[in-house]
Amino acid sequence: MASSYTHVGRQIHRATKLVRRDVKDALQRRYFGLGSATFQQPAATVSGSAEEIVIPRKKTWNKEAVLQALASTVNRDPTASHYVFQDDSYLTPRTSAEFKLYSLAQESGRTAAKYFINTYPKYFQKDFANPHIPCLMPETLELQVNEVSEAALIERIQLRKVKAAVDMYDQLLQAGTPVSLDLTNDLLDLISLYGDCDPARGDAPEQRTEEMGEEQEDVKRRKGMPQKASDFLRLVWRENNNAERIFNMMPERNRRSYGALIRGMVKHGAYSKAFNTYTDLLNNRLTGDVHIFNALISAAPEVREKYVEKWDLIVDLLKQMAEQKVKPTLLTFNAVLKALRRCGSLGRTQAFPVINEMKALGIAPSLATYDHVLGIFYKAATSAQGHTEILQDVLSEISGKSFTAQDPDDVEFFKDAMRICLATKDIEQAYRVHSLLGVGENWKLLGDSYYQSIYYGRFFNLLCMMEHIDVVLKWYKELIPSLYYPNSQGMRDLLQALDTDNRLDLIPQIWKDIKRMGHDNKTELVEEMLSLMARENQIPEVQQSFADCALDVKALYTQTDRRVPLSWSAGSLSSITSILLAAERTQQAWEMLKLFKLANRVPSESLMNQFLESVKASNNAQQAVELVQISASFCLSITPNLMERVQQEFDLTEEQRNTLSDLESSTAMSD
Amino acid sequence: LIFVSFQTVCRQLNSTLWLNVGGRSIHSSAVCCKNRAARIRVGKGDRPVTYEQALHPHQIAHRKGWLSQHTSNLQGEDGAADRTVEDLFIRRLIYGTFHGCLADELVIKRRGNLLVICALMLQKLPPHKYYFLVGYTEELLSHFYKCPVKMEIQMLEEKSVYKYL
Repeated sequence: MASSYTHVGRQIHRATKLVRRDVKDALQRRYFGLGSATFQQPAATVSGSAEEIVIPRKKTWNKEAVLQALASTVNRDPTASHYVFQDDSYLTPRTSAEFKLYSLAQESGRTAAKYFINTYPKYFQKDFANPHIPCLMPETLELQVNEVSEAALIERIQLRKVKAAVDMYDQLLQAGTPVSLDLTNDLLDLISLYGDCDPARGDAPEQRTEEMGEEQEDVKRRKGMPQKASDFLRLVWRENNNAERIFNMMPERNRRSYGALIRGMVKHGAYSKAFNTYTDLLNNRLTGDVHIFNALISAAPEVREKYVEKWDLIVDLLKQMAEQKVKPTLLTFNAVLKALRRCGSLGRTQAFPVINEMKALGIAPSLATYDHVLGIFYKAATSAQGHTEILQDVLSEISGKSFTAQDPDDVEFFKDAMRICLATKDIEQAYRVHSLLGVGENWKLLGDSYYQSIYYGRFFNLLCMMEHIDVVLKWYKELIPSLYYPNSQGMRDLLQALDTDNRLDLIPQIWKDIKRMGHDNKTELVEEMLSLMARENQIPEVQQSFADCALDVKALYTQTDRRVPLSWSAGSLSSITSILLAAERTQQAWEMLKLFKLANRVPSESLMNQFLESVKASNNAQQAVELVQISASFCLSITPNLMERVQQEFDLTEEQRNTLSDLESSTAMSD
Repeated sequence: LIFVSFQTVCRQLNSTLWLNVGGRSIHSSAVCCKNRAARIRVGKGDRPVTYEQALHPHQIAHRKGWLSQHTSNLQGEDGAADRTVEDLFIRRLIYGTFHGCLADELVIKRRGNLLVICALMLQKLPPHKYYFLVGYTEELLSHFYKCPVKMEIQMLEEKSVYKYL
């Protein structure tokens, strides 16, 4: 009896393990019990026999069960700022500029500390951590070995000091000591990787040497784009630089040496040279390895013009790879697909055979593969052309899967997928892409804060366009500002969405958010908001809140304390005035009229009519006369009309009648 | 009257020891048993004092909490002296690094390996400077004590005054 129970129990155990592995990633948060406990219960517990008491096997929990249970109760807190910041309202960033400033400030504090730790290591040597924590010990970044020897060369290579390593190599050769092939290959790898230039050290102050200046002259600087520092300097493979010189001096070269040179050339833009070096390699009766072929495939589109020629070159390279018995890897196929992106229509026909080949070889695609496929089928120019359902197919294939970073282009997938959803206005697919982010480790492949802002910006744009305002507001609370600081275009999209669904009463709240995010100096945004508020009359409470909001905006135009105030335009003045009038704040509306003169702007005729209506409601004849005077001072064409109406509808005193008739004659004369 | 003169008499007795230059005698007087630790004495009434400073140490565990929380004072645990020295070092380091910004004493908590420094600060510097100093202190102390160090800061507009002594 017992043996059959254990046998069944083992079957169940195996089955639950299989089930567990599949659902673990998706359901880990909620059903922690499945993941962390192993049920060793036999299947047939309570089948019929009530007399038999079946004692269930003891449940064993794994070590993190309690933590997983607690974690499942905590979802992302949309009201909290990013985890690197302190949880205090003074220290929470409110705009994207502050976000960057504070995180960079913290990082620079850390590098300052690292500088002190590495410069005075003797205070940090006492090691009482058990077990030893190597990352908390000071690093030796200065050169220790100074005599001319192979050990010194090894040290310089490890510390990534390119120029010092090259000098040491030259000294070794001059001294006559032979340097081993492996070490020379290491040196070539170092030079090719860094393009014969020392990599910038994080904590050392910037040293502007003359060589750096030369290279930066002919490199286009991309200002305003928060890219990584390495993108600013595109190094060019100079003629006869140290790598080539050392390579030519080597008595014997092997595949690794050629590989270092070829990969360096491809990385730094000397594509045809790379192919020439490859021909040299073949002439010396050596075979290439997978890294060489990957580099050459990614360089192939640069050395040929026509699509067909490019593809033929790639096929040729792949055939040679097969002849030389080099096994392709994921990076090979990704390089092929990336090259196919530049092959136009040929790419579309060849993409799927490549993927089938990949699957036949048993290589699992990474997100970069799918990114290149999407790039091949959805070109930027053709937005709605071609009824491709590729995006749906791709998303169906990868839904529920967790990917790891295997290719540097993996991070492009999410923002490109969202770009395609935005271009095709497909909200369903956008939701699927967003849910893919929640699977397993995929959140790590969203990229740095710049890529994240692009992704969320496109997502929010699509939501504002396609969804009902309640859904939009739900996502607004969820995403902003914890994940994404919208720019002024994003806020305008939100205002458009409010307008479409007739929820203009929410504008004062959105105005508070706009101020907090620092977009209150963007004139188009403010004016659009004002015109939306001024367009129609609302119910009284809403109108009062609009009036308060309008006064707040007015303060922005007139304050001079800290920053440049906005400049008045006719539209903004009219909008604020009509909002104030509609809310029956006549005193403040009259003050606005005076501002027109100061700002040299002309009020519109509808505004004058609106004023007349409100004056009639309060039945103030003096104000009516003043209104006509103001209208005349602006030489509005509506002035005679106004005058007539005032004379007819108001009881005017003698004085007022005289003033009016004077005005009438003066305007008649000026006509 | 009496205790004022008692105090001065004690001091005079102690000081008279040095006036007896010629003889070498032991002179003992009654001990002046007055606690002076961590107390601010009542003065004119113009000195603002925080809650922490106003309550005397015998109020700890009655009206006050502990400024330094670790387990080495429990039965069978060791390392209390090391923890105390670390605490002192950390307090001085932070007092100097965030000079003039601290509103009150630090609270230092140890959870497992992690050292958490909870500080109340005034809004004297712009936030990016605070982040610079926080990053710097965390990194320096982590490397110094070989354990992760985190700072949790709360900002106040000005020092919270409990009473005036």
